[in-house]
Amino acid sequence: MTFRARLLVGFGAVVLVPLVIFGLRVRTVMADRLTAAYQQRVTSLVAVIQADLDQQSAGVATRLAALKDAVASDNRFRAAVLQGGDRSYLLDYAGNAMRLAGLAMLQIQDDEGRIVSSGHFRNEYDQLEPDLPRLLAAAGGTALVRARTPEAPFLALARLDSLRLGGRRFTLVGGIGVDSSFLARLTPDSELTIAVTVPPDSATWADPATQVVSTLTRPFVAEGDSARLLAARIVVTHSLASLTALRRGVALSFLVAVVATGAIASLLAAWLSTRISRPLTALAAKTAEVDVDRLDVAFESDRADEIGTLTRLLGAMTERLRAGAARLREAERRLAVGDLARQVNHDIKNGLIPIRNVFRHFAQAAGEGPDRLAAAFRERQPTVESSISYLESLAGNYARLSPQPTGEPCDVNAVVRETVSRLGDTGRAEVRVELADALGPARADPLVVRRILENLIGNALDSLAAGAGRVTVSTGPVDGGASGSGVRITVADTGKGMTKEQLNRAFDDFYTTKPGGTGLGLSIVRRLVLDASGALRVETQPGAGSRFFVDLPGASA
Amino acid sequence: MNSLRKRIIVVSLLAAACRAGRPRAELPPTPGVAPSDTSCTLAASAVVSRDTVTLAVTAPVDPAHAPAPRNDAERLVFAQLYESLLRVDCQGRALPALARSWSQDGDRWTFALREGARFWDGAPVTAVDVVAAWRSRDSGLARVVTIADDHTLSVGKRAGGPDMPLELFADPALAVTKPAPGGGWPIGTGRLWLTGAEAGTPDLLVARPVGHGGPGGPGGRGGLPVVKITSTPPDGARDALDGGADMLVVDDPATLEYAARLRGYTDAPLEWSRTYVLLVPAGERAGVGDLRLESLREAVHGDARPAEESDEKGHPWFTELARCGLVGGRDAVEAGARRRRIVYNQADRSAADLAARLVGLGVLGRGTAAAGLPAAAFGSALRAGGDAGYVLELHARVYDACRAAAVELPPWSSAGKVVPLLDVRSHAVLRRALPRLWSDWDGTLRFASPTASP
Repeated sequence: MTFRARLLVGFGAVVLVPLVIFGLRVRTVMADRLTAAYQQRVTSLVAVIQADLDQQSAGVATRLAALKDAVASDNRFRAAVLQGGDRSYLLDYAGNAMRLAGLAMLQIQDDEGRIVSSGHFRNEYDQLEPDLPRLLAAAGGTALVRARTPEAPFLALARLDSLRLGGRRFTLVGGIGVDSSFLARLTPDSELTIAVTVPPDSATWADPATQVVSTLTRPFVAEGDSARLLAARIVVTHSLASLTALRRGVALSFLVAVVATGAIASLLAAWLSTRISRPLTALAAKTAEVDVDRLDVAFESDRADEIGTLTRLLGAMTERLRAGAARLREAERRLAVGDLARQVNHDIKNGLIPIRNVFRHFAQAAGEGPDRLAAAFRERQPTVESSISYLESLAGNYARLSPQPTGEPCDVNAVVRETVSRLGDTGRAEVRVELADALGPARADPLVVRRILENLIGNALDSLAAGAGRVTVSTGPVDGGASGSGVRITVADTGKGMTKEQLNRAFDDFYTTKPGGTGLGLSIVRRLVLDASGALRVETQPGAGSRFFVDLPGASA
Repeated sequence: MNSLRKRIIVVSLLAAACRAGRPRAELPPTPGVAPSDTSCTLAASAVVSRDTVTLAVTAPVDPAHAPAPRNDAERLVFAQLYESLLRVDCQGRALPALARSWSQDGDRWTFALREGARFWDGAPVTAVDVVAAWRSRDSGLARVVTIADDHTLSVGKRAGGPDMPLELFADPALAVTKPAPGGGWPIGTGRLWLTGAEAGTPDLLVARPVGHGGPGGPGGRGGLPVVKITSTPPDGARDALDGGADMLVVDDPATLEYAARLRGYTDAPLEWSRTYVLLVPAGERAGVGDLRLESLREAVHGDARPAEESDEKGHPWFTELARCGLVGGRDAVEAGARRRRIVYNQADRSAADLAARLVGLGVLGRGTAAAGLPAAAFGSALRAGGDAGYVLELHARVYDACRAAAVELPPWSSAGKVVPLLDVRSHAVLRRALPRLWSDWDGTLRFASPTASP
């Protein structure tokens, strides 16, 4: 994740998380307080309903009392009910009286419980229904009843009264309808609903997640085969729809706020991160330009903040790198000069050694006599001339500073024989030459081949323990291939061999394990072989000696 | 020569007899009722002549229904305006109307139209007019009519159909009419004619004697009065009496009680014209409980009696539907799927009272409710047979019980149960000193001319 992205995320989190937490908390507090308020309203309404039902019941009682007086004074009714006359008047009496009294039910029963007149169900006359007044009396004179009509029963809040006519007791059961309009009149609030449940439908389903509920009970006369008093429940519920809507509105507002804040925060964070990351990006780009050969990059800043400090530190570091690189180049130059001097010294010594051996031979011969000196001179004159020629060529090469190899066809076997012949006395060491027959020429400068052989043979002789052992110089085609595929020179010894670490560093400049060694011999060999487009390979084992393979390209390649 | 002349005369007579073909059947003389027979006569015992009579009806009268009435008001009004071939009086006697005489030959009835019978517009009434009128209302009947001449037609039995009693031809639905140019009231052959409501008084219809300043020429026929017909809502019947109505047919006890308190009015009970039945589909699980028929009479607000209309075997005619061939029509609703309700036409108060009483008695089981439906919905529910029971009003159809059953009862009723409940009738509140009125078999009143016999 980029610094800029992290900056954006961090900025958003810092801004949005507190906002979301605040919003959730506000919602919770609001819901709790509104729910509590709703519960308070429901509880209050239940109390109001209780009082209203009592008031309505009292009103019914008043009207029944008035009806009782009217019935008692109605001679036509009296005659009909006691003497059996004018049945039509009797049957219609309760209906007319019920409507005049503003009641929804009115039933007049005789002392046997037989319906003599019914207002809400005119044609149920003569039916026996003694349980209704009995249970109403048991309920204290008022209860909810299910009043039958031809079409469908309805729920009524009923009261009981009675009168005596002609020595017989008649009961009046009157009531008002407890229907939806009655219940609706009890509350003007559309969010509050009132429902009445009577047995057997006593279970009122209410979801506490969407409603606030409170109930009160009233006695209910359950008629039928087993008439008895049960409890009816008046359930007041307050819908939480408005709360839900309010919650939704708040959530929407907070969502808008979060989105807006997030957008603003993102823009601000983007601006800030851009403002912060742009100099860093530029600094990174400048830093990427810095290389060993590109230390001229300028790191300059007048900022007073951390970026300015970093820029200046990078500038100082680059400055130090520039100084170090200059010193390094100087050291390299000096090292190269020293290296050249040592190589020149080495090469000259290689050229002078045969001459010195010749002169030692001359001195030895001179001690043996003049004839012997003359003979020795004739014998060793070519060696001196060859050495001189070698030195001349060497001088010429150094004069040309890195002369290009000639690339002429080179008779490797001849160069091997010549080089070995110039070794002189090798003490207890045996130098064996195994030359391949019909070996094709290699494409290499003979002088280079000679320098390679002198270095490898010299190192091989030096590796022999106490100077005793064998050094074998052999030639052959590369990998036994066809003519012209290349020439391989192998220099093997029975010396100390090399460890893996020694082998890894054997071709480094100035690495040597010999006391007084320059550490340049194998380095020079590697460079010469590579310059001749050849290949160099070593097989070695500590205590078992080493074997150097030099593959040179064939003259026809 | 004389013998030759005699032979010529005999041959000529025979030839003439052959050319004349079958001799025309002489119809029996018109059945009559002695002028002194007042068994079906209402109102004045003495002949009273009035120029104008005001008739109040408590139900709407729709010209589109003419001449087949659909309520008592239309029955009363249409009876003054239209004629069937004959009519049946309150004693069940067939009397001439548009037909002056008739005879029966096996299953075939032959009718001779009244001499000089004319439509209101003066056009003579012919047998072709009779067939044309029937074709629009009972095409099956029209197909079995044979026209002998302009004034004679015969009607045979329909193939596979029920017998045709003579009284069938008294059905108001078979009254002879023809469409009026421009629509409106059909043109009839009755003694009163009517073309529409009076301008400015849409609730007032005026029926005038034919020839009285209108169609049919001057002079009118039989000294009939001008009849003004006013429509009043059912609860306005007493207002109609207070307004001076001369005649009111009503079954409301309050109105009758009020009329009894008024001077100059008399209450004339009409014939028992309707029977209420409880129709229960076959297989109704609850069965029919104790009806307590004697207590049903108190359930309705009109004049009622326990149903006792019976056929010749002593059974109510509508309970013997099997003999009418009305079999095989079963309700398609399973007994268990029926709605637990007793259905009635909500416009019929007596039906509502009876259904309530049946519910109160638990006749079809407790939990059954009464349900009043609009007329169309009631008809649909009745045809479907998906309810526990139906309270149905059947009009008295003394002429053909099977035809009445086919018209009034659903096809499935032959497999169900028809329980007679109550007979009901209306009352005529009549101002004294009215022209004479005849009462028909179904309680319909007709104005009679002071000089005519019934």
